[in-house]
Amino acid sequence: MATTVAIKPVEGRQGQYAGAVTRLVAFAADVGASWGLFTLGAAALAFSVQLVTGHKFSLSDYQIPSLIVAVVWEFVYFTYQWSLSGKTIGMAVLGIRVVSSDGVSIGFRQAAQRTLTLPLSFLLLGLGFLGILTNRHRRALHDRLAGTAVVYSWDARAARLRWLAKQDAADPA
Amino acid sequence: MSPVPGSARIEHVAQAVAERVVSLVMEAIDMDALLDRIDVDAVVNRVDVDRLIDRVDVEKIVERVDVKKIVERIDIDAVMEQTELGSIIARSTTGVASEVLDLVRAQAVGLDDFVARWVNRILRRRAEDLPLGPPALVRPPAPAPGPIPPAEDR
Repeated sequence: MATTVAIKPVEGRQGQYAGAVTRLVAFAADVGASWGLFTLGAAALAFSVQLVTGHKFSLSDYQIPSLIVAVVWEFVYFTYQWSLSGKTIGMAVLGIRVVSSDGVSIGFRQAAQRTLTLPLSFLLLGLGFLGILTNRHRRALHDRLAGTAVVYSWDARAARLRWLAKQDAADPA
Repeated sequence: MSPVPGSARIEHVAQAVAERVVSLVMEAIDMDALLDRIDVDAVVNRVDVDRLIDRVDVEKIVERVDVKKIVERIDIDAVMEQTELGSIIARSTTGVASEVLDLVRAQAVGLDDFVARWVNRILRRRAEDLPLGPPALVRPPAPAPGPIPPAEDR
């Protein structure tokens, strides 16, 4: 069964500052992905420990260590992916990436700074994110502190051409 | 029985002679040499393919084809074994996934624009005055053309 979905004509936006909705959805996807992976890891660890020792093991029984592991995991999740390609799983899905404020790819130092300052935007009652809406460069507080910006990496024009090509193939007349 | 007496025997002899003659002629002819002398291209050029096709009654041929019998003779298992179903499924899945992804991204970008328009309206600023992206990734917009100089200055 052919499934073709209509795509609204969006201009090519590669390299332009990403908007608030895209970033919010990407972040929500990342929270889901990181917690999903963490839960999977915790379950695998519990199963392995149980298999080796024969005793029942659950990470939730060790609240402080599990909290520390969770924080470290979140740091690794975001920093590793940002330093590697400038995008996390959620950002890749939504077609955005982190770059330095002048548009160059970021390295480990900036990725780590961004990850460490990200909670600040939350701690200020979420006001740190207001910059995405009000700032001329759509930079949140953690973006400014880390010297980064978020841009679209998705080629909307190519998507439009793909869609048109499919339409042509379906209806050559 | 033939109306002329003895004609059957003559016919039989004539037939035998003709067969023998044809056989001798065929043996004597060097078919390879003969074929070498034939200009196949010239022969093909003289064939009016369109006319030939017009004379073929495709409907009649199709009617005579026993599709059921043909299908019965197909070894489906062998066909399935040779078909890379995995790659076909992967290709179609990739197509659907990329379409869904394009749709989600397009919707998100549309909402981004909607929110940005409202924020710009509230902050009383023009979208054209805002930078599109980092300088290394986005070319600055071309400067607005100045007033056209008078003809004598040109």
